[in-house]
Amino acid sequence: MGKKNFPEVKIPDTFADIDKWSTNRRSFLRAAIVAGAASQLTWFTSCSAKLEEANEYLTAEQSTVLKSILMIIFPNDGNGPSADDLNTFGFVLWTLADGLKKQEEKDYIIEGLDWANEKAQEIYFEKYSSLEDEQKEALVKQFTELSWGKNWMSVMVTLTLESLLLDPIYGGNTDEKGWQWLEHVPGLPRPTEETRVEAFFENNKPFDL
Amino acid sequence: MKDVCVIGSGAGAGPIIYELSKAGFKVIVLEKGPWIKTEAFTKDEMTVTRRSAYKPNAIDEPQVTDKPSSSGFKATSSVDSKRDFQNGSCVGGSSNFMSAYFHRLKPKDFRLLSEYGPINGANVADWPISYDDMEPYYTKVEEVVGVSGKVVDHKHLEPRSTPDFPHPPLITNEIADWFIEAGKNIGYNVIPAARGIISEPRENRKACYHSNYCGSFGCSSDGKSSSRAALIPDAMDTGNLEIIPNSKAFKLETDGNGKIIKAHYYNESGVVKTIEAKTFVVACQAIESSRLLLMSKNEEFPNGLANNGGQVGKNMVFAGGGGGSGYFRYDELSPEKVEQAKNKNTFVNQCIKDFYEIEDESFDLCKESPNGKVKGGTIDFLIEHSAPMPKGIRNKFSDGSLIYGSELKETLKDYFTAQRRVRFEIFCDWHPNDDCFVTLDDEVVDKWGDPVARVRTGFHQRDIQIGNYLADRAIEVLQEMGAGSITKSINGNPPSNLIAGGCRFGNDPKTSVLDKNCKAHEVDNLYVTDGSFMPMGGSAPHTFTIYANSFRVAEHLKKAL
Repeated sequence: MGKKNFPEVKIPDTFADIDKWSTNRRSFLRAAIVAGAASQLTWFTSCSAKLEEANEYLTAEQSTVLKSILMIIFPNDGNGPSADDLNTFGFVLWTLADGLKKQEEKDYIIEGLDWANEKAQEIYFEKYSSLEDEQKEALVKQFTELSWGKNWMSVMVTLTLESLLLDPIYGGNTDEKGWQWLEHVPGLPRPTEETRVEAFFENNKPFDL
Repeated sequence: MKDVCVIGSGAGAGPIIYELSKAGFKVIVLEKGPWIKTEAFTKDEMTVTRRSAYKPNAIDEPQVTDKPSSSGFKATSSVDSKRDFQNGSCVGGSSNFMSAYFHRLKPKDFRLLSEYGPINGANVADWPISYDDMEPYYTKVEEVVGVSGKVVDHKHLEPRSTPDFPHPPLITNEIADWFIEAGKNIGYNVIPAARGIISEPRENRKACYHSNYCGSFGCSSDGKSSSRAALIPDAMDTGNLEIIPNSKAFKLETDGNGKIIKAHYYNESGVVKTIEAKTFVVACQAIESSRLLLMSKNEEFPNGLANNGGQVGKNMVFAGGGGGSGYFRYDELSPEKVEQAKNKNTFVNQCIKDFYEIEDESFDLCKESPNGKVKGGTIDFLIEHSAPMPKGIRNKFSDGSLIYGSELKETLKDYFTAQRRVRFEIFCDWHPNDDCFVTLDDEVVDKWGDPVARVRTGFHQRDIQIGNYLADRAIEVLQEMGAGSITKSINGNPPSNLIAGGCRFGNDPKTSVLDKNCKAHEVDNLYVTDGSFMPMGGSAPHTFTIYANSFRVAEHLKKAL
């Protein structure tokens, strides 16, 4: 008797992840400084008034949009940590400072924040920051139904996942809350200040033509 | 002048470096990447996978992939696609980051043309050596490099000169027993798979410590049998070896009489330097090895070094097949099985080789075969790796739609804490064909201004048929185990890390680049010892065979030098 075939077994989704990382090796020092700050960024996540003066990457408006959208992506819903709990906002700032990430990818993140504001004004005739929570959520849902918006939201979800799942040394996953929630045991050895990504590149990729 | 200049330091180079240094020859190694020490390896996904620290970045060192599509071949630079065939650019090469499934090839793999006859549209060839010629060197890899496992008898077991592996099997998750039991129930032999990972300490290496982060990650105990950990330290101790990291060879210069006199390379500052040696061994992973020969054209070799026969870069092969998975939900298991499934150990180390040769009258390819048999392959069983980012990314989409908010959180919580995913990997021959080859791209250059490799990745439909046949056998096992949500993915996408061919070895210079000792037919002092030599890749990951062949060539070189 012949063997059974399984043509009906479905092919899994492909994970077209447009934000695969790439590297250049400059300005790691600045990234390290931001990373250090990001680990103590309670003021970043609790007081938007100070964002404008403290944040060299985003305006106060952009910061407000970012914080809001991150909380829509990973809300405080009683099921595990929220984006605020994980310091996802601080992690995104670390990313914007990271010399190993391409500038165009960083620009893309910021453009999306501005675009959110433009869309808010186009649809609701108000700045994003002035919208009601329901309106913000409706706007974000609209993003995911547009090609550009879906790609941008995909990048933001990936950044959120990184802040949930990567080592706290990069500023996210505060107090290992992400790992604890998901019962994840990290692999050893974990990165130290001597082996974290910027130091690795500094020590092992010494030249750039 | 050095006796030997080796370009590359991975699995194809390590045995040459080790054997020749120990035999008293002066060896110099040009390695494109840095020398990463064991203590610099971590299980940090940011470093390893998110920033791809062990690979050159696509802007510095792009490749062009020319993939088949419904409208013909479509070429894309890795700068745009983010996909390339670069692996492990560092001392020890990609052997640092292998999963290290070490299956020997079988005697029939060495004579596929004779055994199964020609296949339309595929350039099937017998190897110029037999399994018996290679066997002593498989044994040498097991002993010198370090392989763990347990030999059990089965109908496709290859002849062995030793009864068992030098190291006992690694400890596995109890899920391994579920696979064995299910196989038994449906009449399949689920047997131990050997690994190039040591289960007990030896020399200066510690045993595997079950970090559960293995493939893609460097090993922090040197338990993984990389060229860097297993071979290079002893070679360094001889005092006969010099390794120059961050040195990118870009041209081999000949003397006009079929002999190489110098290797030209860029040092870490981008300055051009040269090395003189009596013999040159190229082993910088198959695609880049072909590229280096093609870049080394001159009046004597206008189409590239050793390429007056027009064979360099031809007949590239990858690992054919693919994989699949199934899920065990804890709420559907007994408490005892939940405990077993939750065990963090990810090693299963079980495989099926019953279908290394397929004899099944219901399978279309067998019906077409004169003797009713076709070459099949290997099924490996695994548990999903521990690294959490791939699990997170896997859950970004549901039915093609991006998810976020509470739905994303619920999905993640469920995926990480309410189930365990098991996987299978299929390895079958990637049939070499006229649409799978490496050339130099006409437009794209690397950071040094040199033309990059352009890789056409045409595949033979037979690979898909055989891959699906094997995947369906794996699915039977998963179903018998009670796994749910089973999926498979068998396609013609080449894996980025399992690359061979391009400088085929053979007896006829018209159809091969290298002779049976992996010396170029056209160049007196050029050897190529990475996976480039393989006319067929076999139905297993290539690394074990690359290691063994490199030891075999080293033995020849010790006499020839």
